Amino acid sequence: MIDMSNVTGIAEGKSLTAMGNKDHVDHLKDEGDIPLRHHERTGSNQTNNYSVLDFYEMDSPNPGAERQFGNTPKRFDNDPVSEGETSGDVTDDEQEHEVPISPANISNNIPSQHSPKDRDDTDVPLQFDEELGFSSITGSEFDIYGFKKSSSYHGISREEYDKWFLEYHKYTQKNRKKWHLLMKNNGLSILDNNTPKRFPPRSNKVKKMIRKGLPPEWRGSAWFFYAGGYEKLNKHVGVYEQIVRDTKNIQNKDTEVIERDLNRTFPDNKYFNDLLRLKPQTTEYGKNEGETQIIKALRRVLVAFAHYQPHIGYCQSLNFLAGLLLLFMEEEKAFWLLVILTERIIPNVHSADLEGVHTDQGVLMLCIKEYIPSLWSVIGRNYDGEALGEDAVISKLPPASLVTSSWFMSIFVTVLPVETALRVWDILWYEGSKTIFRISLTICKLCFEHPEFQDIRSRSIGSSETEQIELYQFMQNYPKTLQDCNLLISSCYKKIGGYGFGSLSQDEINQCRHYISKQRSKLQNKQLLSANLSREERNSLISSSLPASNQEDYSDVYEFHKPIMSGVRWNRNLSTKMKRKFSKKN
Amino acid sequence: MSGRKKTLLKVIILGDSGVGKTSLMQQFVNNKFSHQYKATIGADFLTKEISIDNNKQVTLQIWDTAGQERFQSLGVAFYRGADCCVLCFDVTNEKSLNNLSSWKDEFLVQSNVSNPQDFPFIIIGNKIDVDDSKKIPSLQKKLSNITSNQLGGLNYPVFETSAKDAINVEQAFEVVAKMALQQEELNDINGGVDDDYNDAINIHLESDNYGCAC
Repeated sequence: MIDMSNVTGIAEGKSLTAMGNKDHVDHLKDEGDIPLRHHERTGSNQTNNYSVLDFYEMDSPNPGAERQFGNTPKRFDNDPVSEGETSGDVTDDEQEHEVPISPANISNNIPSQHSPKDRDDTDVPLQFDEELGFSSITGSEFDIYGFKKSSSYHGISREEYDKWFLEYHKYTQKNRKKWHLLMKNNGLSILDNNTPKRFPPRSNKVKKMIRKGLPPEWRGSAWFFYAGGYEKLNKHVGVYEQIVRDTKNIQNKDTEVIERDLNRTFPDNKYFNDLLRLKPQTTEYGKNEGETQIIKALRRVLVAFAHYQPHIGYCQSLNFLAGLLLLFMEEEKAFWLLVILTERIIPNVHSADLEGVHTDQGVLMLCIKEYIPSLWSVIGRNYDGEALGEDAVISKLPPASLVTSSWFMSIFVTVLPVETALRVWDILWYEGSKTIFRISLTICKLCFEHPEFQDIRSRSIGSSETEQIELYQFMQNYPKTLQDCNLLISSCYKKIGGYGFGSLSQDEINQCRHYISKQRSKLQNKQLLSANLSREERNSLISSSLPASNQEDYSDVYEFHKPIMSGVRWNRNLSTKMKRKFSKKN
Repeated sequence: MSGRKKTLLKVIILGDSGVGKTSLMQQFVNNKFSHQYKATIGADFLTKEISIDNNKQVTLQIWDTAGQERFQSLGVAFYRGADCCVLCFDVTNEKSLNNLSSWKDEFLVQSNVSNPQDFPFIIIGNKIDVDDSKKIPSLQKKLSNITSNQLGGLNYPVFETSAKDAINVEQAFEVVAKMALQQEELNDINGGVDDDYNDAINIHLESDNYGCAC
């Protein structure tokens, strides 16, 4: 139960000890998280996704009032999301919601949820005025998101950008019409061209539309909706504000790195870097007084996140994720999407030991081995050209993962051109982490098959080392030039003429992840055990602790070929598929 | 002496976040400086061909790394086979100076180089273009304290640079290249970095019939 004395203390604006505040927040967090496990599972299920929004929209007397859930606790009775939850959970929610938050108490500038246009904070580009935005964009040096069009990093000039944009804009327009139609067919009206708050339930049709891309001005709202943001927010009303208050003057190792990264997040975006708009290249760089609203919001989100997820704290690359989210939504929502991402979509990727990076890179490498064997024949070797052992992927990652790990950590932000990354994000929030694997495989294959690389390759015959280095260089640079979003997306998902990585299922990835992390933890245990032993002792320990399995069994694991291995349950569908494939090979 | 057709030297740049590792690499390889570098995630690398000594052509492969501590766990993959390691600090940030020795230790642990005692390190103090008032007071004294107490009294070359104004960057990397070449030749004499030996330390799985012990 929530300690009401603390809650009242906050409500009355009493000054609490830091300890008390922290307890309160942790408590809320726990309260929220326990029922959430049950809740989240239903949350990923389409039918419940907009139910919370019903709650938001149905009888909210005025926009912005929905924060004060406490006023209308009975609405939960009609909330299908609460179905199946114990009444105790619901009661807890209500108590959470009863914390009255007076706007005066909220020190930060969290704008009201339903009225992005009322935001006094004109710095933040939440809305994209269709008319104004698109017609004036060709005359501007910035794109619709505020990024500089010409970028030496992405090797594109303003003229090239405009040329691309002109075409792509037509595509976006056509797509926008389809989206409006889809909304209409689902009985979701869009008043006055406002950004919708709810979207159609999940279906193949919607998935297809998402893959075609969301209208830019709807992105934040749709991402939040499909990722289960409202469920999360609903469970944690007021928590973000509280953490922001608690962490306002906090200083620690995390905040130090955060401070250093704020201005290194999107220095090429006018909302992040005032100097781009004001006095380009004349003022001393990095001075605090020119700090934009969005930088301030970024600081609050990152500091709050580090506080809320202490096992992660601050990890470089979160700045890019939060930064991009902030271009599309207000900070409270950005905060919760960041939480959802790190809890459910790519767990442990940003944790202090980056264990999730090792796991996911291991999975990716196994996928490359399985699905792009020609590429694996280059990267699955050491520099002397010897093929990596079956287990090398688990014990030490091949160097190619140095390039690909940043794809996972910053989910292609700064890796791909902005619009291309956004298209991937559209799919990510709807379909989950398999998207990152599928897109990564696609990029890898596009790189490998690129005539330019094949040309370089043919010239660098002989040395495996040279060949690999050329490939890493290419894998590092090529994604930056992938301005043609539709090429990437269709190569990934199209069955004809594409690579068809769309058949790589989430189940398969999850099983593979599970397998790798299990093997890794075993390996780590052994390493710890044998840390103080001599080489001979260590070797005998290893061999004695191993079961009498043979190499064949072991390689089967990696080749995705057999349905059953200990600790890993392959779904029947996959195993049949693989059997078929295997029998064809023979 | 070297049996390789092409001399490729692998250089790793390490140091705290924000000391200017990316700027140094960009200045050296592309002769440019920007205020708009983004934080480096994971690692980036660039290559540059230079000629050293008596016109010997070498390719420097320079790895720019993320400065946040936790990224060190990814180091295994790229510290391996390094020929020289550049330890960077920011002359306006004392903490980054004090962290030099832990960067060095971490590198030696992760890379498993065969000659930790005389592996070539070089120290670069970057941002000397910044106003003197912001610089670490009595830097020279502190630096020599650190080299004698924490860096084992080894006399690593020290360069003070400005990646922004292109001061001393070229010179520093020339020394890097020479040191790296020596290390590479040493490795060649020793038959290369003994990968098997290194792997054995991390438990050599390849040769064992390591199966699923579930």
